[in-house]
Amino acid sequence: MVQLVRRPMYFLMMVFVPILGSWMLMDMMKDGVIREVPVGVVDMDDSELSRKLLRNMDALQQVEIRRHYKDFTEAKRAVQRGDIMGFYYIPEDLQERALSGRSPEVSYYINYSYYPPASMQYKGFKTISLLTNGGIVQTVLRTVGMPQHSAMAALQPMVAHSHMPGNPWLNYNYYLNMSFVPCFFALIILMITAFTLGTELKSGLCRQWLATAGDNMVLALTGKLVPHAILFTVVGWFIQWMMFSVYSLPLNCNPWHMLLAMPLFVMANQGFATLMFCFTPSFRLGSTLCTLMGMLSFSFCAFSMPEEAMYPWVAAIGYMVPMKYYFLISIDQALNGIGLYYSRVYYAMLGVFIVLPLVMSWRIKHECLNPIYVP
Amino acid sequence: MKQWLLEIYRVWWREFRLVLRDEGVVIFFFVLCAVYPILYSLIYNTEVLRDEHIAVVDDCRTQLSRELVRQLDATPEVKVVSYAANMQEARELMRRKECYSIVHIPRDFSSSVSRGTQGHVSVYSDMGLMLRYKNMLMAITEVTQSMGARVQEDVLAPVSYGGVGLIENRQVPIGNTAMGLASAILLFILPLIIQQSMLLGIGMLHGGSIERRRKNRGYDPMAEPASVSSTIIGKMLCHQIVYVVPVVYVLHFTPMIFDFPQNADLLQSVALAVPFVIAVSFMGQTLQAFINERESVFLMLAFTSVIFVFLVGVSWPRYQMSRFWYTIGDCVPSTWMSNGYVLMQSTGASLNQISHYFVMLWLQCGVFFVLAYCVERFVSRPRYRRWQQKAEIDPDVLQRYDIVKNGVG
Repeated sequence: MVQLVRRPMYFLMMVFVPILGSWMLMDMMKDGVIREVPVGVVDMDDSELSRKLLRNMDALQQVEIRRHYKDFTEAKRAVQRGDIMGFYYIPEDLQERALSGRSPEVSYYINYSYYPPASMQYKGFKTISLLTNGGIVQTVLRTVGMPQHSAMAALQPMVAHSHMPGNPWLNYNYYLNMSFVPCFFALIILMITAFTLGTELKSGLCRQWLATAGDNMVLALTGKLVPHAILFTVVGWFIQWMMFSVYSLPLNCNPWHMLLAMPLFVMANQGFATLMFCFTPSFRLGSTLCTLMGMLSFSFCAFSMPEEAMYPWVAAIGYMVPMKYYFLISIDQALNGIGLYYSRVYYAMLGVFIVLPLVMSWRIKHECLNPIYVP
Repeated sequence: MKQWLLEIYRVWWREFRLVLRDEGVVIFFFVLCAVYPILYSLIYNTEVLRDEHIAVVDDCRTQLSRELVRQLDATPEVKVVSYAANMQEARELMRRKECYSIVHIPRDFSSSVSRGTQGHVSVYSDMGLMLRYKNMLMAITEVTQSMGARVQEDVLAPVSYGGVGLIENRQVPIGNTAMGLASAILLFILPLIIQQSMLLGIGMLHGGSIERRRKNRGYDPMAEPASVSSTIIGKMLCHQIVYVVPVVYVLHFTPMIFDFPQNADLLQSVALAVPFVIAVSFMGQTLQAFINERESVFLMLAFTSVIFVFLVGVSWPRYQMSRFWYTIGDCVPSTWMSNGYVLMQSTGASLNQISHYFVMLWLQCGVFFVLAYCVERFVSRPRYRRWQQKAEIDPDVLQRYDIVKNGVG
């Protein structure tokens, strides 16, 4: 029972919006790494040392000095106005104390309401202080006749090197869009499926629909959703092509692993939407639930806050949507490139989402035979 | 003029009754505003990650290396769940998701430190989530620095004798003083919740009106006969009144409940919200051109939330967006409202200091009023007239049209 997709809105929503949305997310963050956070400096010392420090800071990639402020209050006001996101404060006795052996203290005031730029500022400011100290120590050690290489050892006797497999540049595009782009796509699939099933129930033509499929609900559902699934899968592959090829997100596994995951993901989402209708067979409630779950998936699925840090019930809800499993697959496969064996459960779970609504379909059938539309 | 004001009043009153009578709209306007902030806050309310699972590969096996591991375990950020014999074993643990980071202490670690050269430690993190990596980094940096400080004293002796003091650092987080994730994200999201609930509600009201017109030969029995401008303004005034309670609840009480930064003055944040609500109301009345029935509201509008969230600049800073996306962000009321509101709540800025945002919101009120006027005058009303003409020829044409469009398709 293949039906024509007649309404232009379907085409708009199924093809145009997912592609446009994914493009937007990835294009917006194509720089990948946050650079040149607008900051201010307050230099109360205005000495040789402080000017050298600020010159170094100017050369840094992480921050960009927008302005010099004459005192603390002025800089604070600039933060309040939103001109800068933080500032570096040098006290008036910096050079004097540094040369006389009493450790001076610089402070950085960072507005943590802008979270990613704040971390970047912290990194930049910290680097500057470390560099300046390195300079001081090196000069002194040379004057007392110690070998140069021990300068760094004196400053940092122990160093930790971080290795970041898959994303060594801490690229935000890689990190955020690995999850947000598919989640956006999932939202669209959920809504379209809910809308299709819902109109069927609302328009009162569902008996006719069921009759076409020979009173077999499973057949009716499959017939209805398979054309959508094919179209969505093609769109999904196109999005994957944009992700991995155009915006070169990491793809460290055999590309087939991700290509295979896409049709499973599409159908799992359709299955999830159908399942929602099994529980609440009314247009309004069904589509509300689907939209709600689709929107909340962005948070529930633990893309930024790790699940072990969440309340257990929140983390549990995350495991109830297909998006979670696709996300875990893309981390395992595309980012880390580990064996398919380790992701077997996630692939299987996507399969469960496809089968489950077919088992539960008698509930929709019941509803189809006794349609009640409550406006 | 008097006639015009009277029309505004009648539209206002009618819209008011429509809002309260329609369950769906009540859900959007009130329930959504009441539940969403709580739900979102609860998701992120734990704010920070504690005791991330890590594995250790200790090739050094000295007192120093064991102390390093003990200290790591003692940090709030991570927890050592396993010692692995070698890197292969540790990687296997990571693949099985039994740990998310590996700390490798090489054979020469302790001898290097005692020889006066640098001792190196390697950390491998799963990069699926940025926060896990950050946690691991924070813990290892803290431990190596504090343990290093003790060794440092001996090595640095000549420096102190030379009469030089090292510069010390102090970080002062402002705004979001707890540096929590929830406080950073939610303040941006709260105004967005208001905007989206308004857009959805207004869209649904319009969808209802369209459905009534289909059933009544192109006429809506619930619509007041009024001029275009008074219709738009009347509706806007109604939304403004309806939203007094949600605005105060969402913008003032939610941060209170969850202990987010709350440095804004209630009156001033409400003052900022006034042009915001007006602008969103007009925006909703502009977007309703795309809506043909009640339920398609979800389809046409729900996904915009995702787009608006990113335009606000919560996960990717606005100053680093390309000119194109920056300008698009400028066109959405939530961009100005959220950023202004965040500055007020977190840094305690006064309305005067963020006047730029305030002015931009008023500017948007003007622009969206013109757009809404155009939509109502040149799109919606001619369409109703066409329907009425068609219905006069064939009374059932509109309902049939409904079935063809919504039916088996």
